[in-house]
Amino acid sequence: MPETFSARLARHCGLGLLILIACFALLGPALIGIDPATQSLGDSLLPPGASHWLGTDVYGRSVLARIAHAAQLSLGLALLAALSAALPGVLTGVTASWCGGRIERGLVMLADACMAVPGLLLVLLFAAIAPGQYWALYIGLALSLWVEYFRVTRAASRPILHGDAVQASRLLGFGKLYVLRRHVLPALTPLLATLLPLSAAQAVLALAALGFIGVGLQPPTPELGVMMIEFFPFYSEAPWLIAAPVTLLILLVLGMMLLAGDKELT
Amino acid sequence: MNADLILEASGISVHAGSQRLLRELSFTLRAGEVLTILGESGAGKSLLADALMGNLPAGLVAGGEVCIQGQRSAARDARARRPLWGRKIGLLPQEPSLALNPVRRVGSQLEEVLQLVRGLPAHAAAEQSAAQLQAAGLSASGAQYPWQLSGGMAQRAVASMALAGGASLLIADEPTKGLDAHWRDHVTGMLRTVAETGGAVLLITHDLRVAEALGGRLLVLRAGELIEAGEMADILRAPSHAYTRELIAADPAHWPVRQAPVSGPLIVQGRGLSKAFNGKSLFQALDLDLHAGERFVVQGPSGTGKSTLGNVLLGLLRPDAGSVIRAPGLATTALQKLYQDPVASFPPRQTLGSSLRDACQLHGEAWSALQGRLERLKIDASLLTRRPSQVSGGELQRIALARVLCARPALLFADEPTSRLDPLTQRQALELLGDAMDESGAALMLVTHDEDIARVFGQRQQVFAAH
Repeated sequence: MPETFSARLARHCGLGLLILIACFALLGPALIGIDPATQSLGDSLLPPGASHWLGTDVYGRSVLARIAHAAQLSLGLALLAALSAALPGVLTGVTASWCGGRIERGLVMLADACMAVPGLLLVLLFAAIAPGQYWALYIGLALSLWVEYFRVTRAASRPILHGDAVQASRLLGFGKLYVLRRHVLPALTPLLATLLPLSAAQAVLALAALGFIGVGLQPPTPELGVMMIEFFPFYSEAPWLIAAPVTLLILLVLGMMLLAGDKELT
Repeated sequence: MNADLILEASGISVHAGSQRLLRELSFTLRAGEVLTILGESGAGKSLLADALMGNLPAGLVAGGEVCIQGQRSAARDARARRPLWGRKIGLLPQEPSLALNPVRRVGSQLEEVLQLVRGLPAHAAAEQSAAQLQAAGLSASGAQYPWQLSGGMAQRAVASMALAGGASLLIADEPTKGLDAHWRDHVTGMLRTVAETGGAVLLITHDLRVAEALGGRLLVLRAGELIEAGEMADILRAPSHAYTRELIAADPAHWPVRQAPVSGPLIVQGRGLSKAFNGKSLFQALDLDLHAGERFVVQGPSGTGKSTLGNVLLGLLRPDAGSVIRAPGLATTALQKLYQDPVASFPPRQTLGSSLRDACQLHGEAWSALQGRLERLKIDASLLTRRPSQVSGGELQRIALARVLCARPALLFADEPTSRLDPLTQRQALELLGDAMDESGAALMLVTHDEDIARVFGQRQQVFAAH
C-alpha cells in the first residue's frame, strides 16, 4: 500500500525530532561544559538566565546540563534495550514458525509466560535484584520487550515460510539462508521499522516511570523520572524546573510514535 | 415506453482523465433476455458493469445515460443508482467467496438481505431464506460458514443473495472464472433460470462455452471498443471480425490436438499411493509411472486431490501409504513446479530480474542462455526490472517457466498454470509450455479442470471424479 503524503510527513517529522534530541544528547554535555553533578548551594533555584538557560535546581546544579545527560541516558538505554530485544525476538519468531511442532510450542509457552508478568513488574524484579544499576534495568527492559518481536515475527513469517514462493525457491535448490535473506527479511523490515520505535518509546517511558517512583536509577544520576520527582516539590515556586524533563520526555516519545506511524501490526 | 424494457444504456463511456477506457456503447435489455459481453482481460468489460452499477473506482468517470426499469439517470451520477442496488440490479461478483461475510452463517446472511432489502418480517425472512437455499440446492448449508463451502456452493449462495432483494437485472461478472465443467454448467443453468423467470442477465465473460450455452445476444469488446454485435448464434457461425475469430479459436474446445511426444526413460514412479485429508480419501493405492518427454494430464473438479497427487510425487507432501521412487541419478532439483498463481511463487519485494539471476547463478547457467530463453518465450527484457505484482499473469507464468528451466527439470508439475488467464493468453502460454517441454525432453504433469485442455494436450490422462 503506498504511503499517503501526510503519513510520510508525520514520519519525517518524527525522525527530525529524534535527530534533534539525539544531537542535543550527544553534543549537549560537551557544549554546555558544566558538570551535572556540581553543586553550588548559593545558586539554588535560579530562574532561567544567561548562565543557566533552564535555571538551577535546589542544589544549584545546572538543569540544562542535567537534562542533556538525562537525554543521553534515556535515548541510549532505550535504543540498546529495543535492539537487544529485537534480535532474540526475531530469531525465535522465525525459528518457531519455521520449525513448528515442539520447538514452536515451547517458544510460545515461554513468550506467554513472559507476557503473563506485566512488563513493568518484570523490570521492577530485576531492579530489586540490583537497585540503581544500569544493567539490571537494561536486562529487565529487554526481557519485557522481546515478546512483542517474537509474536509479530512468528505471525508474519508463517504465511511466507509456508507460501508458494518459498516452496518454489526450495524446489529450485535454494538454501535456508537464501530464504531468510530474500523472502523473510524483506517482509519483516517494514514491521521492524514500526516495532523498533514503538518499543524504544515503551522503554523510555518505563525508565522514567521507575525513576519517578524511586525504584529505578537513583539520585544523583541525571535521569528524567528522577529529575521529575526531585522537582516536584517546587512546582509552584519554580514551574520551569518540572517543565523541562516533562517536555523532553513528551518530545522523545512523540518523535518515536510519529516515526512508528499508525500502521496496523499483524 | 415498453413495459418489459429492463435496461436501456445509451452512449455509456468510461474515461480516466483525458484517456478513454471505454468508447460510447448503447444497448437495451428486455425481460427474459441474456446479453453477453465477450472480450479478453483489459477489454473494458468489467468497467462497463461498474459504470452501469455506479460503482466505478475513484478517478474514473462514466458518460452517457442509464435507464433501469423506467428510472433514468446520468451514468456519471453514481449515487442515483445506489437505491436500486439489490432491489432492481443484482451483481454477481467475480470471487464469490470474497463477497460473503466470513464470520456469519450463510442462512443468516440471506435472511438479512430479505429483511433489510425486501422488507420482510423476521419469521417470513427465515422461511423464505430456507426455501431459497433449498431451491439453490444448499438446504444443508444454511448453518454453515462461507469457508466451509466449495467454490460452486459459494457462487450459488451469492447468487441467491444477489436476487433476494427482488432484482430483475442480474449483472454477472465472470461468474465461471476458475470453475470446472460441473460448476460451470450449474452457474449457466442458474443464469438461464433468471432469464426464464422474467429477469434479464448481463453476462460478462471470456468463457465462450458459457456464452454459447446461454445464447441470446453478444457484444464483443476489445480495448474499450465495440468490435462486433449481434445474435450469438450468428456471430459464432460467421464471425465478421478477425479478432472475434481469434477469440473463438482460443476456446480450448477449438484447439488443435497437440502431437504426442516421444517418451524416454522412467523418471518417477508412484506405488500404492494413498492420501486422505480430514478423513476424506483423495486417492487410494494409486500406481503411476512418469517417463521423460511425456505429457500426463490430471483432470477433474476442484478439491478432488489433483494438486495433492502432484505434491506427493514431488516430495512436498508425504503419502499416507505407498512410496514415490525417483530414478537413480536424478538431481534433487530435477522435479519442478509451476503454480496456479504465479504472483505468489516469486519473492514479492524483489525484481524479477534479480530472482532470475539468483536462479541462474545457483544452477551455473549463463545469463545469456536465460535471455535467449526469455526471448523464445516472448518476454520483453524490460519486464525484468519490475516486481512480480507489476506484470500480467500470462507474462509472469512464462517468466516462472523460464526460471524453473534453469534447474533443467526432468519432470515439471504444472498445477493449473493457466486457469486464471483469459483464453488468448492461456492458449499462448500453454503452447509455449508444450514447446519448452518438447525442447527440453522433460516430462510434464499438467493439472487442469478443463476437459478440453486435457483432451488436446494430454497424451495420457488421469481423471479424478467428483466425490
